[in-house]
Amino acid sequence: MQKEAVIREPLILGHKTYHDITEDVCRPIEDKAPKMWYILFGIALIIGLYGVGSICYLLGTGIGVWGLNKTIGWAWDITNFVWWVGIGHAGTLISAVLLLFRQKWRMAINRSAEAMTIFAVFMAGLFPLIHMGRLWVGYWVLPIPNQFGSLWVNFNSPLLWDVFAISTYLSVSLVFWYIGLIPDFATIRDRAKKPLSKKMYSILAFGWSGRAKHWNRFELVSLVLAGLATPLVFSVHSIVSFDFATSVIPGWHTTIFPPYFVAGAVFSGFAMVQTLLLIMRKAMGLEAYIHTKHVEYMNIVIMVTGSIVGTAYITELFISWYSGVEYEAYAFINRATGPYWWAYWSMMTCNVISPQLMWFKPLRRSLLFTFFISIVVNIGMWFERYVIIVTSIHRDYLPAAWSMHYPSHIDIAVYVGTIGLFFVFFLLFARFFPVLALNEVKTILKGSGQSYKESPDYHEHH
Amino acid sequence: MGITRKYWKGIEELKQTPEFIKHKEQEFPNQQTIEEFLSDDKLAETSTARRDFLKFLGFSVAAATLAACEAPVTKAVPYVVKPENVTPGMPTWYASTYYDGYSYASILVKTREGRPIFIKGNKEYGFTKGGVNPQVIASVLGLYDSERLSGPLANKKSTSWSNVDKEITSAIKSAKKVTLLSNTLISPSLNRVISEMATALNGESGSKFEHIQYDAVSYSAIREANLKSFGASIIPGYDFSKAKTVVSIDADFLNSWLLPTEFAVQYGLTRNPDSKWMSKHFQFESILSVSGSNADYRGMVKPSELAGVLSYLIKGLGGSTSVSATIPASAKLAADEAIKSLKKSGKESLIVCGSNNVGLQILTNKLNNLLNAYGTTLDLTNTIELFKGDDHQVQKFVKDVVSGKGPEVLLMLGVNPVYSLPNGDAFGKALSNIKTTVSFASHEDETASLVKYICPDHHALEGWNDYKPKANHFAIAQPTIRPLHNTASALESLLVWNGKAQRGGKDSAVAYDYMAATFATQVPGADFAFTTHNSCTELATTSTALVYKDASVSNLPKSNDKEVVLYQKAGIGIGLQANNPWLQELPDPISKVTWDNYITMNPVTMENDGYATTYDQEHGLNLATVTVNGKSVTLPVYPLPGQAIGTIGIALGYGRGANGEKIGKAAFQTKEYGGYETENGKPKAIGANVYGFVSTVNGNIEYYNSAKIEKASGEYSIAATQIHHTVMGRHSIVRETTLGIYTSKDKEAYNPAHKLEKLNKEGEHEKRPMKEFDLWDAHPVEKIGHRWGMTVDLSSCIGCGSCLIACQSENNVPVVGKDEVRRGREMHWLRIDRYFSSDEEAAVGTRKDKETFSYDKAEDAAENPKVVHMPMMCHHCNHAPCETVCPVAATTHSNEGLNQMAYNRCIGTRYCANNCPYKVRRFNWFNYPSYKKFTEINPAQDDLGRMVLNPDVTVRTRGVMEKCSFCVQRIQATKLSAKKEARVVGDGEFATACSDSCPTNAIIVGDWNDVNSIIRKSSDDNRAYQALEEVGVKPNVWYKVKVRNEENSLLNKLQVVEEVAENKKAGH
Repeated sequence: MQKEAVIREPLILGHKTYHDITEDVCRPIEDKAPKMWYILFGIALIIGLYGVGSICYLLGTGIGVWGLNKTIGWAWDITNFVWWVGIGHAGTLISAVLLLFRQKWRMAINRSAEAMTIFAVFMAGLFPLIHMGRLWVGYWVLPIPNQFGSLWVNFNSPLLWDVFAISTYLSVSLVFWYIGLIPDFATIRDRAKKPLSKKMYSILAFGWSGRAKHWNRFELVSLVLAGLATPLVFSVHSIVSFDFATSVIPGWHTTIFPPYFVAGAVFSGFAMVQTLLLIMRKAMGLEAYIHTKHVEYMNIVIMVTGSIVGTAYITELFISWYSGVEYEAYAFINRATGPYWWAYWSMMTCNVISPQLMWFKPLRRSLLFTFFISIVVNIGMWFERYVIIVTSIHRDYLPAAWSMHYPSHIDIAVYVGTIGLFFVFFLLFARFFPVLALNEVKTILKGSGQSYKESPDYHEHH
Repeated sequence: MGITRKYWKGIEELKQTPEFIKHKEQEFPNQQTIEEFLSDDKLAETSTARRDFLKFLGFSVAAATLAACEAPVTKAVPYVVKPENVTPGMPTWYASTYYDGYSYASILVKTREGRPIFIKGNKEYGFTKGGVNPQVIASVLGLYDSERLSGPLANKKSTSWSNVDKEITSAIKSAKKVTLLSNTLISPSLNRVISEMATALNGESGSKFEHIQYDAVSYSAIREANLKSFGASIIPGYDFSKAKTVVSIDADFLNSWLLPTEFAVQYGLTRNPDSKWMSKHFQFESILSVSGSNADYRGMVKPSELAGVLSYLIKGLGGSTSVSATIPASAKLAADEAIKSLKKSGKESLIVCGSNNVGLQILTNKLNNLLNAYGTTLDLTNTIELFKGDDHQVQKFVKDVVSGKGPEVLLMLGVNPVYSLPNGDAFGKALSNIKTTVSFASHEDETASLVKYICPDHHALEGWNDYKPKANHFAIAQPTIRPLHNTASALESLLVWNGKAQRGGKDSAVAYDYMAATFATQVPGADFAFTTHNSCTELATTSTALVYKDASVSNLPKSNDKEVVLYQKAGIGIGLQANNPWLQELPDPISKVTWDNYITMNPVTMENDGYATTYDQEHGLNLATVTVNGKSVTLPVYPLPGQAIGTIGIALGYGRGANGEKIGKAAFQTKEYGGYETENGKPKAIGANVYGFVSTVNGNIEYYNSAKIEKASGEYSIAATQIHHTVMGRHSIVRETTLGIYTSKDKEAYNPAHKLEKLNKEGEHEKRPMKEFDLWDAHPVEKIGHRWGMTVDLSSCIGCGSCLIACQSENNVPVVGKDEVRRGREMHWLRIDRYFSSDEEAAVGTRKDKETFSYDKAEDAAENPKVVHMPMMCHHCNHAPCETVCPVAATTHSNEGLNQMAYNRCIGTRYCANNCPYKVRRFNWFNYPSYKKFTEINPAQDDLGRMVLNPDVTVRTRGVMEKCSFCVQRIQATKLSAKKEARVVGDGEFATACSDSCPTNAIIVGDWNDVNSIIRKSSDDNRAYQALEEVGVKPNVWYKVKVRNEENSLLNKLQVVEEVAENKKAGH
């Protein structure tokens, strides 16, 4: 067993035993849900259904119910898409990249981060679908054999790359997440008393028996999937950024986009993880597993990626001037001083200034402050995408075609609706799925648990 | 020595098995009939179990359901007997003539399967030489208006022609006084029947019958002035094509004044900087008109200052007049330049005046006479026979009617006095005092809804007509479709009521026969059929020497603090076609506003008075109440740069159907989710009627008046297709130069190629033209087959909007209504971008000073800006950015250089539209042909209105992208006809709808690969450039530098050959 230095903060606080961990994770699943859960679920469901209703209206009437126009063909739809995809970045990064880097602290957060990823990618995937004028023929983006004179897709189109990137990312993330869940499902199955839940969890557990062979394969598959998922973390948002980078629109046509988008995605993903986990640890009594140290680690990631994003913003500004291209220069002058200056400066404040506060240790260890910043960052990242998309096309080449974008109430309803749906999924997850990778957490109990670090035996074996 | 090969059908045949021999003769297996099958006793023993039965049942239900999903089948019934001249799928063109009392043009009408669907100008016959305006082109839609009356009405009830005829004939007989109030009738046949009526009713010296001509917008002053100057009440012919200097005193001759269809063509001929000479155009006006936007010099003056300008010019040219030559500073430069130019061009000058003030017209005559222009640019012999309404006569008649002294029978033909008279309401009320009122209107309009009998005339495309628009011109209008409804030609009705003919029913030949007879007397020796085929013929004119004499000038427009100017817009004009959704949605050439009229004011004044000067989707304009003659209207105030300070402008022609009269579905304001906006339970009219604002000076109707304006509370949403008005100094979009620079300097000076730095062989940086940079492999469109291209000459484009309407008509472009235009979703495939110059620019698109250039200031138009009209449509880029980004390859490049849209393949991601640098792609946000929001306005939602659709062009469904196709259906048709005749497509054989309808020939299309073609030469011209060339999309559309015939010292300094500048740098 790997052990770490005593001076490192323990990852599991208190005097937990293996059984305690099982109990802590399984209790919320086995107990009756608290009233609060029902209230939150009810609110999320209503908002989600409102969103679904708005989407139905959109599909029945036409894209015209949104606030788009002849100049601005994408606004909230693709902004939301990129925002959700960005949020969906943290999970896989945590579970795959941190696994490869043997970061043990990931174990406390990876399960819910991955769940968040999957639900966020669901929400993200919704937007490219509903933003299509004719969703019912949307399957034409798939290169499947057909009889329309055998029409093939256009492999030059970044939107097609998106289709592949997002679907690959979603399927790999889903499989990765599920593989991790299997041993934990088995634990719940073994403890389940009611026949229905026993039946359900035994189906979900895929007949896991906990034999050494199973564990061996589990480890191997996890490692292989981590290897597969790691490049995806970088490819997905790079490819999403190609939607803009390969175009001819000043403000979109920017070679810096792939790394900038990936950093931004990790930035917003971690912020969302913070938002969710800070509530969840409290609500589900997981303070011993997800505590200040975890939050601090994540804040450091936010600080680093936030700085990368800030550098990218300033680089963009510099290049727009340095390039000497009239249209490029104007695009950025317009961002900062044009009609959408407020969006630009919201973005700058939220994304460039706020992460810098994390240099101060008391701040990055303050849970309340972290929660606040995590919300600020996600607001900022939404504005980032809005600024990139809308302020670039609302004033592009021909001034006669310049326009303004005003969202309609359906724009807002669909966006808010996806947040509702996301929480519906996440609350169901929290209610029925083990929110902590309990079997994995057990592996670090003796290496990083507080009670073990404090026990005299710990040093002898060193 | 033949070897007979033997083939077997199979191994069985080779081996001659017994089964083979048995079945050899039977090619098909023995079929069992259903009866045999069912009567088989063993059937009951077969094993079709219950489950199998359910499977079959399930399958059949599913199959039936799936089969029901198919689109409904619309039957096309073929002709049993093919009519002559009608080949399904092939258009038939008819030469005809358009006249509605306001616009006149020689036209060609395209019919498909018997339906007229497109109108364009006739370039070969008629003096309008292909010139049309948006209203003429759009008039085809009026034919299919479902609210057009379908038969005669008596007391608002449908009745038969025989009843109407009986009652009206007896009313005329028994009446003491019969008056025919008509618009200016230029039909020799109508005039003949009217004179016959007069003879019959008046006898030798009676005065029972009177014919009064009344024009909604009066030109009475020109005739009166000429009566005083020359002793003849005439409107002379004008020839702009001979005028080296044109001075227009508030005459919008390219848009609304007299005969813009003729004048725009003539003017266009003189605006080519490559021909021997280019005209110099001066405009003095209050509002920024279409003509003013094309002027080389433009002076802003109030109506009351026009006389001063004329006097200044007269005195500057050595003449004398009693009128004081005071001139405002805003017109001084233009006036001084005008004097210089007039002195130079002498008799090859033309002064026109758009005012209906006799004094101003007399001064204009004096000036023209001073220049000796009569005989060159003005023709006193071949006079214009339009607009014969006499203000004094009309005023007297109206006064009589209002005071109850009207005739007993009033026939109203082609007029709508209740709407267009200044005191229309009073006139309307007084109509009930007249015993018998008859209208020939096609709708129950403002006037017709108050009369006793409506005897609807045919639509112009349904009936025969003859016209004499000029002294030497006889034109014929022929029907292009059998009358859709039970209407009758007005000519026939008058003949019947005069007892000279019997009703002929739907296929009546009465009018035709009478017209042919008229023709025989008017044009002796000519062949009627031949003339009909050509649409017109020349007449001999007898010239009477008219001698000019000075006349005294009085009653000139008075000065006021705020002066209101009433003008006419390109789309709506005087309001004749207010129910035409194409025209309502036609952006005004200057303001780009659709579906409304408004108060125009200079933004400088507006800022001082606290009005909003910017607007967009959510920010409307402030309302103001204008009070004139004790009448007031409340309208939004539009910031119009170039408007003279101290004046406001309001367009006529709006506010039709103010009492909810049934004048057509599209004539009213609609709500966000469909249906009409209502007021007192009646649909709300569009804009406000300001005919009541005219002033009467010495019996003449004048379109100027003093006004009071007060800011009203509230904001009003404005639906404009353009909300940003300057080009921000972007030289790669708009290029301008002056004639002086163009003729004396190198191309590099005024039209430099865009260059990028590149490493040469020696490893040094070198500036090379864009042509040498290419990210992609070139499309194989050069030198092989056709490559369709277009050039748009910014020098000759006047911004009239004809191309836009022609495109809409040709390509079934949907109408989307005010609310959608406000949201920036108009569907026009072709738009005309209009750019004002700003104070930061030396000319539109050229920065005054690159170092101090301020984007902020460049957003505001100058106080009296220069204007560029830039038609913008799909550029069919050879490296089209839209093509690479479509995930399903719905938009692709043809091997003829066209960027094609496969609507069926489009899934509607809108990525292509985002990535289009020219923003010309249009998305179907809704299902325009069926969504409730567009029921009232989109003709495609009306069973009758749908008839106007071009069958060669698909009507697009919701969720797909569309855009200009270069009229690919016309390209295909041209290629096919060439192929049938086994020849190559000739140059000029194919034209897009826009180039076809352009009165100034600004748009040229053709095969670029044909090195001798006009388009190739035009695109190789020194003035040709590609907009946004540096983006590298390699468009197939070229623009040509706008050349102004002016002095521009700033441009002189800026437009020096760049090479020189570079050499200087190298020397340092």
